[in-house]
Amino acid sequence: MLKRTRQYKPLKKLPVGKGRIVLVLLFFAVALSGWGYLSNGVETGTYNLAYPANFGNRINIPADNPTTKQGVYLGRMLFYEPKLSATNTVSCANCHKQEKAFTDGLPFSKGIDEVLTTRSSMSLANLLWARKFFWDGRATGLEVQAMVPLTNPHEMGQSLEISAKKLSKAPGYPALFKLVYGDKKITGDRIVKAISQFERTLISSNSRYDKYLNNTYKPTAEEMDGMLLFNSDPQPEIGIRGANCAHCHGGVKNYMELFHNNGLDSIPKDAGIAEFTGLATDEGRFKVPTLRNIALTAPYMHDGRFKTLDEVLDHYSEHIQESAGLSTFLRNESNEPGGTSLKLEYYEKKEIIAFLNMLTDSTFITDPAFADPRLRPAQHRKS
Amino acid sequence: MPIRVCDLLSIEKVNTTIPMKKQFIVAFIALISFTTPFITRAQTAEKQATIKVSGEVTTPLTIDAAYLQKFTPTTVVRKDRDGNDHTYTGVTVAEILKSAGVTLGPELKGENLTKYLAVEASDGYQVIFALAELDKAFTDRAIILATTVDGKSLAPGDGPYRIIVQDEKKPARCIKQVTAMSVHFIK
Repeated sequence: MLKRTRQYKPLKKLPVGKGRIVLVLLFFAVALSGWGYLSNGVETGTYNLAYPANFGNRINIPADNPTTKQGVYLGRMLFYEPKLSATNTVSCANCHKQEKAFTDGLPFSKGIDEVLTTRSSMSLANLLWARKFFWDGRATGLEVQAMVPLTNPHEMGQSLEISAKKLSKAPGYPALFKLVYGDKKITGDRIVKAISQFERTLISSNSRYDKYLNNTYKPTAEEMDGMLLFNSDPQPEIGIRGANCAHCHGGVKNYMELFHNNGLDSIPKDAGIAEFTGLATDEGRFKVPTLRNIALTAPYMHDGRFKTLDEVLDHYSEHIQESAGLSTFLRNESNEPGGTSLKLEYYEKKEIIAFLNMLTDSTFITDPAFADPRLRPAQHRKS
Repeated sequence: MPIRVCDLLSIEKVNTTIPMKKQFIVAFIALISFTTPFITRAQTAEKQATIKVSGEVTTPLTIDAAYLQKFTPTTVVRKDRDGNDHTYTGVTVAEILKSAGVTLGPELKGENLTKYLAVEASDGYQVIFALAELDKAFTDRAIILATTVDGKSLAPGDGPYRIIVQDEKKPARCIKQVTAMSVHFIK
């Protein structure tokens, strides 16, 4: 160690000419590493967002941020980039892990400090069709959404300006930004746009349920019974049993972009969308999340209060709490005449959970195109 | 809230040596800061729902109960989920749209027939009506923005504003808790 220090010390006293040479060499080193990324060949051109026809084309892509192959690749790099946090330790992927359908398995998440988030990390699947983001839907686009965790003092805790500066000095990034945006300028706007492009590609459409809809999978008897309960309104008067789930979780994507109070508390600790509408009937109202990959995204609810799907089913079956904001879909819906909660049988809950497991998309959670490009071979690079 | 109570108490304890007048002012300020959140909270709870009317209109509107008073009430009888007839009273949607300058009546022809009304509820649910479905010159079927059912205000989960479509078999377009109406051209 001592020897090395002695060797380096004279460098400071180098004449100006030699200093320039060092600078030029440094420049080439940086340029070379940047060229290294390009030499691997990031594919360019329009990104083909492939999805089944039954998902529908009501997709949400802002006109000023078209999805390109190079933009998606940059966004993927940034999604897994800890330099975007004040401590260089937290990336988007800390709270959105692919193996958990882009959640983190925790009720609340830890960012750069000890202060936990106030709501649970949400799954990132089929956001291409989403129009309102966060548990309270306050962000109207992915670009606006992405800015929040990046700059929140307890999540990633770094201004977009500083992030842009740090990336400007990081090898590879200026060249990638040039490939995506036409010049090397790195801005906060360009960072969130690229991240959003990547997030739009996170399409989950290969679950057993998709295969069933596509006539390529035959559900088990238990799964079929669960599906029937899931889709039926209880009508005890005429002997029809149901769990009434499809009102809010129906459709081929298992997501309908609705906001409801699902009877968790009689006095909600978290006001939900009432925080900004100020309406009593909006108290405790939150986004009805996607049920895609629901078996992988425990714990459940905006505050992660339920550890298992069994607890979730028990809640809807027996523990709905009355309040001003309680959804009308959960009022007086019961399998018992005159009942106030669903009152499902034990085996019916198991059947519904069997159906919910059909919504797990193992392709989605193992697709290398969604993984950290630094760890696995990139799909969108030329071979 | 508890922190503020403690603040108030500690201020009183610490300030025993300062003049009485000053102490009073400090206590008063503390009291104000302590009660303000309650006052604002009470105000939020009393906030009334409104409906935004926007899109292909000449006058964007924010509708509340007072605004609806200026229209003639219309009544529609409709079967509810319980199988019984219920009497809904409100204002014809077309009248509201006309007051916002939507192309109804004589103007509802040509490309204006490619316009639709999108209605949104507080839970994000959306339904649409073609403008021609709302216009008296096209149909006798009334589509109203109801405020009462059987003479009483709508239940909180249904109201304060709900669309009631006369004679429509499924209730899916009788959208509850309406918060926005916007008129658009098809693309």
